[in-house]
Amino acid sequence: MAIVFEKVSFAYDERSLWRHSALEDVSLELETGVFAAVAGTTGSGKSTLLQHFNGILKPTGGKVRVLDFILQAEGKQPPLRELRRRVGLVFQFPEQQLFEDTVEKDLCFGPLNFGMGLEEARERASQALALVGLDDSFLPRNPFHLSGGQMRKVAIASVLAMDPDIIALDEPTATLDPQSRAELAGLLSRLQREQGKTVIVVTHRMEEMLPYVDTWIVMKGGTKVFQGSPAELVRESGRLERECGLAVPACITTWNQVAARFGLEHEEPCLTPEKLAERVVRLLEGHPQGNKREGGG
Amino acid sequence: MRNKLLFGRSIDTGSWVHGVDPRAKLTGMVLYLVAIVIVGSWPALGIAAAFSLAYMTATRIPLKYFAKAAKPLWVLMVFIFAVQCITVKQGEELWRLGSWALYTGGLSSGLIAASRMALLVSFTAILTFTTTPGLLNQGLAGVLAPLRRIGISAQRLTLMMSIALRFIPTILDETHKILKAQAARGADLKEMPWKEKGKMLVSLLVPVTVSAFRRAEELVLSMESRGYVIGAPRSEYHLLSWRLRDTCFVLSYVVLVAVVLSFRWI
Ligand SMILES: Nc1ncnc2c1ncn2[C@@H]1O[C@H](COP(=O)(O)OP(=O)(O)OP(=O)(O)O)[C@@H](O)[C@H]1O
Ligand SMILES: [Mg+2]
Repeated sequence: MAIVFEKVSFAYDERSLWRHSALEDVSLELETGVFAAVAGTTGSGKSTLLQHFNGILKPTGGKVRVLDFILQAEGKQPPLRELRRRVGLVFQFPEQQLFEDTVEKDLCFGPLNFGMGLEEARERASQALALVGLDDSFLPRNPFHLSGGQMRKVAIASVLAMDPDIIALDEPTATLDPQSRAELAGLLSRLQREQGKTVIVVTHRMEEMLPYVDTWIVMKGGTKVFQGSPAELVRESGRLERECGLAVPACITTWNQVAARFGLEHEEPCLTPEKLAERVVRLLEGHPQGNKREGGG
Repeated sequence: MRNKLLFGRSIDTGSWVHGVDPRAKLTGMVLYLVAIVIVGSWPALGIAAAFSLAYMTATRIPLKYFAKAAKPLWVLMVFIFAVQCITVKQGEELWRLGSWALYTGGLSSGLIAASRMALLVSFTAILTFTTTPGLLNQGLAGVLAPLRRIGISAQRLTLMMSIALRFIPTILDETHKILKAQAARGADLKEMPWKEKGKMLVSLLVPVTVSAFRRAEELVLSMESRGYVIGAPRSEYHLLSWRLRDTCFVLSYVVLVAVVLSFRWI
C-alpha cells in the first residue's frame, strides 16, 4: 500500500481565530503502482489532500502513512527528506513551484539536494525537460518569463527530474493546450505502466484522464465521498453529479443513457467514441454480448 | 508562519469599539502614545494599564490575542529592561558584580519601561484588530487631510501606506510559498542545521524580492486597468460620520493624558 489515510483531518491556521477546516475524517488507501485521480468541486480540499502526501502539510487529526513514513498530529516528526525524494509534488500553480532564476537551476535544485553531482543533475534536468516536450534551449531562461503553459511544463519537469516513486500532480493540465494535455496524460500513464510509478492527479477535466485512471476519488467539502474503479464511477456518476456538483463528462452520461436504454448496466463501460460505436454496431447486428435483453435496434 | 503574525489583521466581534470612527481611534491612539511616553511611575503605569485593559475587554477580543501581538517584540523589551538596569544608579544597591551594581531604581525603571513598551504594542493592536485596513486608510486620510494646505497629498500618503501594509502579508505568503516549494524538493528549513538555515534564509532574499517586484507590477497593472488615477476625485464606499460616541472616545484619552500628566508633577 503506497498511501494510507486513517481518519485524517486538517485545519488551516489551527488554534487561531481563523481556523478553517479543510479535510474531515478522510480515510483512503492507494496501492503501489496505481494511477489515481482526484476530482471534486472548487474548494473541496483536493490540493490540501495532495499536500499531505509528502508531508508539506501535517494532519491535525488522524494518521497518514506514505511508503514507510507515518505522519500524525501528535508525536515527533520523523525527518522528511527521504519522503520528499520519493514523493514528488507538483503544486497547483507553477508560480508556487519555481523560485530559481533559470530553468536549469530550478530543475537541478531537487537532484542536487538529494545528493547528486552537478553533471548528473544537469543530465537529469535536460532529460526531464525533454519528457515534457521542451528542448534544451529553455535551460538558461528565466522561468518567470515563460508562458503559462511553458511554466507549467517546467514545474512538472522539476519534479520528474527527482525521479520520485510517487508523483502527485495538482491540476497539471490546466493552462495547457489540448495537444500538450493529451501528451501529458500519456506521459504519466507511461511512467506508471513502464516504470511502476504511483501517479495521483487532481483534475477538473475528468475525460482527459479517463482512459488511464484505475482509481477515482471524489471529494466534497473536505470529505471523501467516493473511491472506486472507473466502472463504479460510471455507475454512481448520476448521484455524484447531483450531490457533489461533479462535472461528469459527456462520454459517461452518454454511456449511461445507452446502457439504460439497452440494459447494458453490468457491462464494462465503453467510454471512447470508437468503443461506443463498435458496441452500438454489435447491438444493431443483434449481438447483445453478455446481456440477454435485446434492445430496440 | 502567517498565522503567527497578528499585526494588520482585523478580528470582527461586533463590539462598540469596532464601530468607533477610525479617525477617533487614530486620534485616541496618538493620545495614548503621548500618555505612555509621559508615564514614569508605578501608579501612573497602573492607571494606564487599567485603562488599556478596560478597552481591551470592551473589544470582546480574547486578551491572549493582545498578548500575542506584543510577543514578537520581547527581545526589544528585554533590551530596554537591561539598558535601564545597567545605566540607572538610584536607590539602594541590590547586587554587585565587580565595578557594576544593580540598584532598586534601575530595576524599577527597567520594569516600567518594559511594561510601557508591552502596553503600547498590545494596546495599539486594538486599532488594527478592530478596524479593517480600508477603514483605517480612510481614517488616516481624514486625519491627514489638513496636510493638503502645505502641499502634501493625504491620498498619496495613505495609498503608499496601505500598499506597504498590504504587502507585508503578501511578502510573508510569498516567502512561505517558496519555502514550501523548496521543502517539497528536499530542502526543508525545519530539518536543517543552524548554519544551513542561515544560508538558506539569505538565499531566499533574492527570489522573495523578485517576486515582490513582480507582485508590485501586477498590482500597478490591475489598478490602472480599473481606471485608478492618483489624485483623481474619488467617492467613498463607506462615508465616515462623526458621532457623540466618537467624541467621548477621544475625550477619554484626553482624560488619561491629563491624569498621567498630573502624576508627573504631583
Ligand atoms: N492557505 C490557506 N489558508 C486557509 N484556508 C485555506 C488555505 N488554502 C485553502 N484553504 C481552504 O481550504 C479549503 C480547501 O482548499 P483546497 O485548496 O484544498 O481546495 P481545492 O479542492 O484544491 O480547490 P480548487 O479546485 O479550487 O483548487 C477551501 O475552503 C479553502 O478556502
Ligand atoms: Mg486546488
